[in-house]
Amino acid sequence: MIFKIAWRNIWRNKRRSIIILTSIAIGLGFTMLYDCIVRGSVQQMLDNAINSHTSHLQINNAGFNSNKIITNNISHSDSIINKVASLPFIKYYSPRVLNFGMITSAANTSGITLVGIEPEKERNVTIIHKSLTKGTYFSTNPNEILIGEKLAEKLEVDLNDKLVLVSSATDGSVSSEMFRVVGIFKTNSSEFDKAYVYVPIKTAQKMLLLGDNISQIAAITDKPENINTYKSILQSKLDYHFEIFTYQELLPLLIYYVQIANDSMLVMYIIIGTAVLFGIINTLLMSVFERVHEFGVLMSIGMRNGKVFRMVIEEAFILSFVGTIIGFCLGLIGYYLLSIYGLDLSVFSESLSAFGMSTILYPKLDLGVIINSIFIIPITAILGAIYPALKAIKLQPTEAMRYV
Amino acid sequence: MEILKVENASKIYKDNGIAVEALKNIDLSIQKGEFLVIAGPSGSGKTTLLNLLGSLDVPSSGKIFLEGEELSKKTKKELSQMRLAKLGFVFQAYNLIPVLTAIENIEFPLMLRGVQERTRRQKALEIMRELGIAELAKKKPNQMSGGQQQRVAVARAIVNEPIIVLADEPTANLDSVAADNLLDLMERMNREKNITFVFSSHDLQVIQRGRRLISLKDGSIIDDKICE
Amino acid sequence: MLILKLAWRNLWRNKRRSILTILAVFFATLLSVTTRSLQYGTYEHNIKTAIEMFPAYIQIQKLGFQSNPSLQKSFVADSNILSTLKNIKEIKAWSSRIYSAGLVSYKENSLGAMIFAFDPDLERNTSTLAAKIKSGDFISNSAQKDIVVGYKMLENLKANIGDTIVLLSNGFDGAMNSIKLRIAGTIRMGSEEFDAMALFMNLSIANELLAMDNRINVIAISLSSVKDIPPVLTALKSQLKDSSLAVLSWDEVLVELKQSIEFDNSGNVIFLILLFIIVAFGILNTVLMSITERFREFGIILAIGTKQSVLLRTVFLENLFLTLFGILIGSLVGWIINLIFANNPIYMSGEIGQIYEQFGFVPALYFDPSIAILFETAIVIFIISLITFIYPAFKLLRLEALKGIRYT
Repeated sequence: MIFKIAWRNIWRNKRRSIIILTSIAIGLGFTMLYDCIVRGSVQQMLDNAINSHTSHLQINNAGFNSNKIITNNISHSDSIINKVASLPFIKYYSPRVLNFGMITSAANTSGITLVGIEPEKERNVTIIHKSLTKGTYFSTNPNEILIGEKLAEKLEVDLNDKLVLVSSATDGSVSSEMFRVVGIFKTNSSEFDKAYVYVPIKTAQKMLLLGDNISQIAAITDKPENINTYKSILQSKLDYHFEIFTYQELLPLLIYYVQIANDSMLVMYIIIGTAVLFGIINTLLMSVFERVHEFGVLMSIGMRNGKVFRMVIEEAFILSFVGTIIGFCLGLIGYYLLSIYGLDLSVFSESLSAFGMSTILYPKLDLGVIINSIFIIPITAILGAIYPALKAIKLQPTEAMRYV
Repeated sequence: MEILKVENASKIYKDNGIAVEALKNIDLSIQKGEFLVIAGPSGSGKTTLLNLLGSLDVPSSGKIFLEGEELSKKTKKELSQMRLAKLGFVFQAYNLIPVLTAIENIEFPLMLRGVQERTRRQKALEIMRELGIAELAKKKPNQMSGGQQQRVAVARAIVNEPIIVLADEPTANLDSVAADNLLDLMERMNREKNITFVFSSHDLQVIQRGRRLISLKDGSIIDDKICE
Repeated sequence: MLILKLAWRNLWRNKRRSILTILAVFFATLLSVTTRSLQYGTYEHNIKTAIEMFPAYIQIQKLGFQSNPSLQKSFVADSNILSTLKNIKEIKAWSSRIYSAGLVSYKENSLGAMIFAFDPDLERNTSTLAAKIKSGDFISNSAQKDIVVGYKMLENLKANIGDTIVLLSNGFDGAMNSIKLRIAGTIRMGSEEFDAMALFMNLSIANELLAMDNRINVIAISLSSVKDIPPVLTALKSQLKDSSLAVLSWDEVLVELKQSIEFDNSGNVIFLILLFIIVAFGILNTVLMSITERFREFGIILAIGTKQSVLLRTVFLENLFLTLFGILIGSLVGWIINLIFANNPIYMSGEIGQIYEQFGFVPALYFDPSIAILFETAIVIFIISLITFIYPAFKLLRLEALKGIRYT
């Protein structure tokens, strides 16, 4: 009953209610969309890093991660690989050889990280094979190399050109080997494209005098949310000679970024909520003062203070809730549109690519967004309604004269 | 001399889709200096007639002439200017601007005509003294009684020296003493300044004060006689 | 003027409502002024720091070097260039540099290196690189085979200050050369990646190693402030007769920095405008309510012959006062806050500080106390409030005396 009255009271002044509803809807809709975009972009950065190189887990010889020298490699690689592969949560794995080196073309030289891979295994772990803009993935030829677009530009080479790779082997000697460019890739990170080159693992092992040893095993798991559990299981299976890193440990910056993005979004919601709050308080106050006489009558026929108070609070709640629903729908529409078309930020392409973000952002709608959007305005509204509600039960009709 | 002429005027308006004839074929001529009361029960068309006379409304048919000029030929802007210069209004209630003092309310029409501040103040004070309400000068409407407010309203209505003042049930919210005082005031202004007063009422005590009585019933004039 | 008095007093007919509205404007103004000040201050500081650390205000390069750096894209700093540089008064200092890549080896360890070669004396005047020394000494002309490396590189090589490393690199002629160099000191630039690969050496040694024959890649130019950039750019472009040279300002060199600043800026602008729009709705509601409450009064005023324009002006002034009041107080308080923090920047510690450093930003919050920011905010809010006046104005224009009087 009180609810019905509250609902109808809101529509007594249509224009005023529509204006406040519009402001809530616009405020919430945009903030929600913004939230989705921010979360989407941060998620994209994380996914980009995982998919291009980091993967979910990296298994190395102890100490390799902080100092990537070739002498710190994994021997008896077959048995280690089998141990890793036998675990049920390991979906895919890829053994790698990693080393610093220099790559030279007729035109230029550049410092790079050499990645020796088993093409078919790496295919399942990263998206390099999908990121080729030119050429093809590896075939059986041992001297094929994949380089990034940015690097190809710098070295002024194209498909089928020859490059010389120079790197130091396990015995300290400098080894050089010639390769032919069979594919050029472009990921979302220009830094990555400049620095990483791919060759067949056997060629890398031969060149660096590794024998059958490898530098690292990269793995993709089935449920990345359980990554820490997986790490402990793996660590207990392999001994202390090995170190295992999760993507969270390898990309601490991006993880922090996700956290910060969430925190600063919350601040934004609060600020917008406060701005809307002024409007809600004002609207309610105006509505309450218009009806002082009526409240007086209601109270004199026996409606207790508590019910009047509740009625005003409910009006605030309904206003804010309706506004939130409309705003939420607006936000959803925006979300669907953007998830189809994406937000084109190619104006900022260089900067985005330096941070590993693609230039077309897709929004992400998750539980956090929904909770934030749905609750923030009604909560602030109910808090804000306390003052007008108190006024409603305190004001006598004769006092109202002064406010006319 | 004739200042207001109504020629076969009628006013029809729609009330929820039903056509209501508020005024039917009114013919009326008002001379300068008259002290005229329009009497009749509620719904007889008094307010509608006054609105037509004051150019606040237009007749559905017929013509209205003020000082020989036909009102329907004027634009809204011209009518507004005309009202400022030639007409004065006293309404039943809410005449005054609540945030202005009595003297500022009276100055208001002078300001609209572009009169300088000092001159405005002098003239307003003069009028207030003439009407015996000078002590109300700095008071705001909510600090005055109903009767005092109406007297200030009369002062404002005549400050621009109009040719005619239209008052729609000016005493309706006043007690009999205040009503009497207001009418005394209006009569005095009518005599001393030769301003025509046309007011409406359904109160017998008020109606008796008019020198010419026009009776309205259901939108038509049923009587028009000189009293004294 | 009577109308001014009228408008002002009308505002206080409903004290609570007016105060709430002014408060909302105040809130939005305050927020805008302080966050803009924080932004501008931080951008400015970061730009200045980034510029002076090494890239410098303006660079002269061979055309095409910026997009595709290589030794081949080099030039000689001939007398024409030198005299041009001397003649432009805003130029404080300049330094010639060679950029390349190479392999650094120490015992069994080899790492990739980014080579930056310059004359230490000239460089000291041009950039603040020497101040970033973590331990040991900067390079000098008295010990030309000394180098400075990023501190992470030292760690990764498992070397110490004083040790000798071998640098391997391809020269201008394509031939690979090597040279033994002594580590004199380490440097910390703030980016882990950079600090793991940076190698600073003497220009003359690099010249020999890379067979440059006195060719260089970059002339870095130092100015007093970014405001000097436009005139110097123009002067250089017109006076350097060599069309194969490019003159670049910092934002063409540090494109990513410029873009990330713009990106951050646009995000903030959008947010602030959203905030203003919400507050504007609040003002709209207040003004509309205050008008509809007074329709009867307005009707009577119109009846006695007031022009519509007078009515419009009065309500407009009310709208103006509401907005202006909030803007004024908000700007004042905001400005004071800005001043306080401009003189006492807030330093960020811990994780947040790290993230800032990673992206090349200084881990502190700098405020810009300039008054222009106040105007920027004030004008935007003002314009938005003007726009919100359109609807009430429309309502007023449609009002006629009788309609107002009869209004319920």
